[in-house]
Amino acid sequence: MSQAVLANNSPAIAFALSVLRTKEIVALKNKIMESCRQAFKSPFLILLAVPGLITLFIFNYLPMYGVLLAFKDFDYSKGIWGSSWVGLKNFEYFLTSSQLFVVIRNTLLLNVAFIVSQTIAALAIAVLLNEIRIKWFARLSQSVIFLPYFMSWIVVGMITQSMLGGQNPTVNEWLIQLGLSEVNWYFEAHLWPWILSVIKVWHGAGYFAIIYLAAITSIPEDLYEAAKIDGASRFQAVRKITLPLLIPTISILTLLLIGRIFNGDFAMIYAIVGDNALLFPTTDVIDTYVYRSMRVLNDFGMSSAVGLFQSVMGLVLVLAVNSFVRRVSKESALF
Amino acid sequence: MNDSLRDRAFGIVSYVFIGVFALFCFLPFWMMISGSFTKESELILNGYSLFPESFSTTAYTVLLQSKLLWSSYVNTALITVVGTALALFISAMLAYSLANGRNTLRGGMLAFVYFPMLFYGGLIPFYITVSKYLHLSNTLWAVILPLVCQPFLVFLMVNFFRTLPKELEESARIDGAHEFNVFIRIMIPISKPILATVALFYALGYWNDWFMSLLFIDEESKYPLQLILRRMVSNLEAAKSLIPSNAGISIESPLLGVRMSTTIVTIGPIVLLYPLLQKYFVKGLTIGAVKG
Repeated sequence: MSQAVLANNSPAIAFALSVLRTKEIVALKNKIMESCRQAFKSPFLILLAVPGLITLFIFNYLPMYGVLLAFKDFDYSKGIWGSSWVGLKNFEYFLTSSQLFVVIRNTLLLNVAFIVSQTIAALAIAVLLNEIRIKWFARLSQSVIFLPYFMSWIVVGMITQSMLGGQNPTVNEWLIQLGLSEVNWYFEAHLWPWILSVIKVWHGAGYFAIIYLAAITSIPEDLYEAAKIDGASRFQAVRKITLPLLIPTISILTLLLIGRIFNGDFAMIYAIVGDNALLFPTTDVIDTYVYRSMRVLNDFGMSSAVGLFQSVMGLVLVLAVNSFVRRVSKESALF
Repeated sequence: MNDSLRDRAFGIVSYVFIGVFALFCFLPFWMMISGSFTKESELILNGYSLFPESFSTTAYTVLLQSKLLWSSYVNTALITVVGTALALFISAMLAYSLANGRNTLRGGMLAFVYFPMLFYGGLIPFYITVSKYLHLSNTLWAVILPLVCQPFLVFLMVNFFRTLPKELEESARIDGAHEFNVFIRIMIPISKPILATVALFYALGYWNDWFMSLLFIDEESKYPLQLILRRMVSNLEAAKSLIPSNAGISIESPLLGVRMSTTIVTIGPIVLLYPLLQKYFVKGLTIGAVKG
């Protein structure tokens, strides 16, 4: 019986063998062998790379295999491979839930608010810092403005809580002194996109300002001298020279941020908002939602479906943004 | 209005804006410092204020006796020191290999290191990998290892290594030095500025990390500082766990004050190292900015 099968298949086997022997395959094989031989010429260099490659493989590539979870009914004891397949059920569930829309909307809106507010603040800081002639003042204020970037989001959350939370929020004391009415900060969801934007500016504007400042200092000084001879004021010079020459830097930084627009800033939002459900309508982003469904609801399948959706959208966006950047200016592209 | 006057006005606007923004950045730090030195009764009544009316150091003396604070400080210090050393070692070796033209597998390796920057497997698979398959839960390794090789920082180093003259390495090898010695004796010493930059990036990341420990650490004795702090953000009573029962405080426990003093203690090392941090971060950022 088995012989008959073999006999029946022998033309197929012969064909397969002939394919293996075709020129292209042989060439490819030789190439691989050659680079292996070459690699052993500098084994030390390969060896140096191994620990890094292994850690990347374990912590970044193994989880990629885990995207299969999105199509499974995950059972922790059975593991990723042992759990049973459920097809697209996980996706169906989250696509039909009304929460998904809210969460995606919040992610996109908050990121847009962050990009706009941070870019404007950073530009203003960089341009105006460049106008300051008293050296110690410039250096001191630059240091102070950059300092918040080094604070963990937990510390930022603590600061926010002590300014806006508690029985007598500090900010409310100020509002009363100014003759304004008190605000119940942790109950007013609609205020939080603004509050989070202010916090983001506090934390990160200094960081972006330094990148812009580096770009400004690379603008040749003679442009400004020529403008001065022509009778331009400092403000005109900023408007007609500095800002136009910053446009490439601004667009690249912005595009890079847009590439990550589907990624909610988990560390920031969860540290500040935490499990305060009253604020979820405006602050719950994809990443916090996934975390909660995993940790609180223990729904691994659905949350990995959301996670996969996010990863794929993120990849598509980064690729799109990159090909766009490459068309505009090749050396600014990521790859 | 003539031109020089207009320039002066613009100058004044610059000073005012920068001054005000710097104050805005500094204010929260000042409030925390002032709050940590304010008497608890005043904090309860008036909230945090710019200048304490009643000065008190109770929030710090209580903290000094807290075993939990010390253990979390040791954990954070361990994570930061071991993590940074390991990360710097692994990343520098990888970057040196990737930057070297004689590495014939370079193309594939570059792609392998680059791809994780584009695609993320997702939180859930990552969580399962680390906890179920690597069994790292409730160990400090769960915080250290996942952050030990960051592609962005590796590429920052690759860019630097590429600018080093090839002749340096070649002549040393012709003189008969072993590759290992070339790397350790020549390449590492001349790369100190970039190594310092990357080390500080890693150290800051480890010191400030709370996401990994939130995911993987449940035992209080393994908590890093940031998690202790986090518990107090959402739950005021959590500050009690830092106050030893035998502290001998006759008045009420300084919960609000302890929150502030713990924050100050957490950011203390960063503020102390800030001149160094700032210098090297600016350097790293401008290298990155030039490269795009």
